[in-house]
Amino acid sequence: MIAILAPALLVLAVSIPPQDASTSSRSAAAVQGAGSFDQLAQAAKRARDENRDDAAIDIYQQALKLKPEWDEGLWYLGTLLYEKENYFEACAVLRRFLARNPGDGHGWALLGLTEFETREYTRALDHLQQSIVLGLGDNRKMTATVYYVTAILLTRSEKFDESMALLFSRVASGENTSPLVEPLGLAALRLPFLPAEIPADRREMVHMAGAGALAVEAQRYAEADKLFSELESKYPGQPGVHFLIGAYLLGARPDDGIKEMKREIEISPSHVPARLRLAEEYIKRQDMDDGISFAQEALQLAPRDATAHMVLGEGLIAKGDSAGGIRELETARDSLPEEVRVRWDLVRAYTAAGRTEDASREKGEIERLSRQDAAH
Amino acid sequence: MLPVFPLLAMLSLAASAAPSPPQKSFDEIARQADSARNADRMTEAIGLYREGVRLRPSWNEGWLWLGNLLYDQDRFPEAEASFAHFVVLVPKPGPAWALKGLCEFEMRDFAHAMEDLETWVHADFHGSNDLTDVAAFHWALLLTRQSHFAQALYVLADRAQRRGESPVLLEAMGLASLRMPNLPEDYPPEFRERVWLAGKAAFYVSMHDFARGQEYSHRLLAEYGQQPDVHYFQGTLLKFQLKPAEAAQEFRKELEISPQHVPALLELAQIDIDSSDLAEALSLAKHAVEIEPANPDAHHILGRALLAAGQARESAQELESAERLAPDSSAIHFHLAAAYRELGRKEDAQREMATYVSIKKREGDLDRAAGGQDAEHPLEAPK
Repeated sequence: MIAILAPALLVLAVSIPPQDASTSSRSAAAVQGAGSFDQLAQAAKRARDENRDDAAIDIYQQALKLKPEWDEGLWYLGTLLYEKENYFEACAVLRRFLARNPGDGHGWALLGLTEFETREYTRALDHLQQSIVLGLGDNRKMTATVYYVTAILLTRSEKFDESMALLFSRVASGENTSPLVEPLGLAALRLPFLPAEIPADRREMVHMAGAGALAVEAQRYAEADKLFSELESKYPGQPGVHFLIGAYLLGARPDDGIKEMKREIEISPSHVPARLRLAEEYIKRQDMDDGISFAQEALQLAPRDATAHMVLGEGLIAKGDSAGGIRELETARDSLPEEVRVRWDLVRAYTAAGRTEDASREKGEIERLSRQDAAH
Repeated sequence: MLPVFPLLAMLSLAASAAPSPPQKSFDEIARQADSARNADRMTEAIGLYREGVRLRPSWNEGWLWLGNLLYDQDRFPEAEASFAHFVVLVPKPGPAWALKGLCEFEMRDFAHAMEDLETWVHADFHGSNDLTDVAAFHWALLLTRQSHFAQALYVLADRAQRRGESPVLLEAMGLASLRMPNLPEDYPPEFRERVWLAGKAAFYVSMHDFARGQEYSHRLLAEYGQQPDVHYFQGTLLKFQLKPAEAAQEFRKELEISPQHVPALLELAQIDIDSSDLAEALSLAKHAVEIEPANPDAHHILGRALLAAGQARESAQELESAERLAPDSSAIHFHLAAAYRELGRKEDAQREMATYVSIKKREGDLDRAAGGQDAEHPLEAPK
């Protein structure tokens, strides 16, 4: 990771506008030490410019003792400690910097990457996501690293769909896809591991799954067929394999897709997404009883799964149970307020039930979400 | 000397002549600090609380707020220093012990973190539900790190029942289940899959969803059945599901892989005692004592086996050894009372029963304070 990020940090470092060191703190102690502080600040900058990192770190630390709230010093000390792989201290310094600069996307990004190195994965994910929300400017290398680490941490947190979406967004942005193959494979197989944590005997499996997912995304279907066929023949009993192939086949050859999904449930009896895909497929085929049955099974396994409530709601509405369907859809909407599909489901259901005001409110929400999307 | 005096005089004159900003009173700073905090101006509030405690170091409320605000910004060394002031100033600091311990945990000062979190635990887990959850979770991580796996699982399963599944909880449960004395951030990456699978299995079994627990424990066995501790873990899951015969098979498989596995020896010995296979129980428990002579559980189980075999005198000796090694174990006092009764030592038996009742009461109080139940923990081996 260091090798990827270090040049990006350098770019960042020179882009930070230096502050007037003598006015960066108003404390009485700092005013008394202003002369020596200015000298230290200049010496630290000189040491940094001359790549004497250890000396620079030492001098920044001395200067920060005189002016603990010197933003520029905190930032450069944090980046230098990161580059020296002294992650634990880098975290402490960057947290002090961010307490004073909470709107700094680069700061959150560097803190998140540092916490990734100290294996504080929950915090790292929170802070990297925060940095994405705040924006990372036009530093492409930094952006690529932040998105990559965010995606692999989402997978490790079992947020596989979010991870896939993020990874495919990188593919769409024209990024080199080689480093994305394993992360995609892990997310596609729903294995909550970092690439470094892949069991040695299944690295090939993960790679094949990732390559297959990439082929599907690029609409290279012949290649995807070949890869998935090989994956299935080599790893027929591994959890996740049949779900991935089934998800692919439901689009191309739905009957085969159904078989794969059912095979996945035999191997992984508590597989919720496989049940939801089956429910959707059966509802699409107007086989409401089977569709509703799979959605209900999914909800038994995951009572708080908003997608399961949504699919069950769609099935119930299609079967004519308007009240039951609306109840499920409203539960889904409350958990996923930004999911447009649920809102459209509700518009149709409310309209059919004569609840025009409710339908109109949902339409308004859809328009608001569309505007929000466009703004991003 | 002479030239010095005029210089001093000049300096002092200069100092007194210089315009100085009007000094704010402590009360004013305290009021402004509270206002800044209430208005979510945290950086300003931190500065004001700092100034307040500088002016009045005995301002315990100031230290507490300062610590809390710094903790919220993940500035753990500074927060820890504030809580350290607070706990000295206040006779019953309650939740501040937990907060101080959490800061120390984040600073990797695990010895002090354990000390402070245990002080908090013994003060009946004071604090909000959120703080109790976070602090108890970190206490469990430290218990695992110190190889107190069953106790850690007890705490973690309670959290599972109240808060549901989360990646960090699964990881913590997986480590304790596989008897790995590690923190989530310091175990080898190649153990990730087995830790995750064990965590899933332990989580679902603690939620009494045995079918789902079994799905993950079978995956664990399929991938890692030849690794130490995996069959032992499977045995504990089966024992909890009241399947002693199947559990015994798993403990035997563990002993084939790890012949010196004392917990497996003791679990098997307990199953033997319950099924009156006392010859094997005695043999297994004696072997466990030979391997780990300072293990109170080994002496305890051997004492129970001897008592069941009618050897009350030898049983009392073993149970007394166990009591010396673990004076706070209620079960040891209970069985020692039974051994004394067999020997006709009524007063000793009564004393042990009184101790047993007192410990059980305290354990019950702690359970209730932690929001748990009095019942035996699902994953803890019955003693």
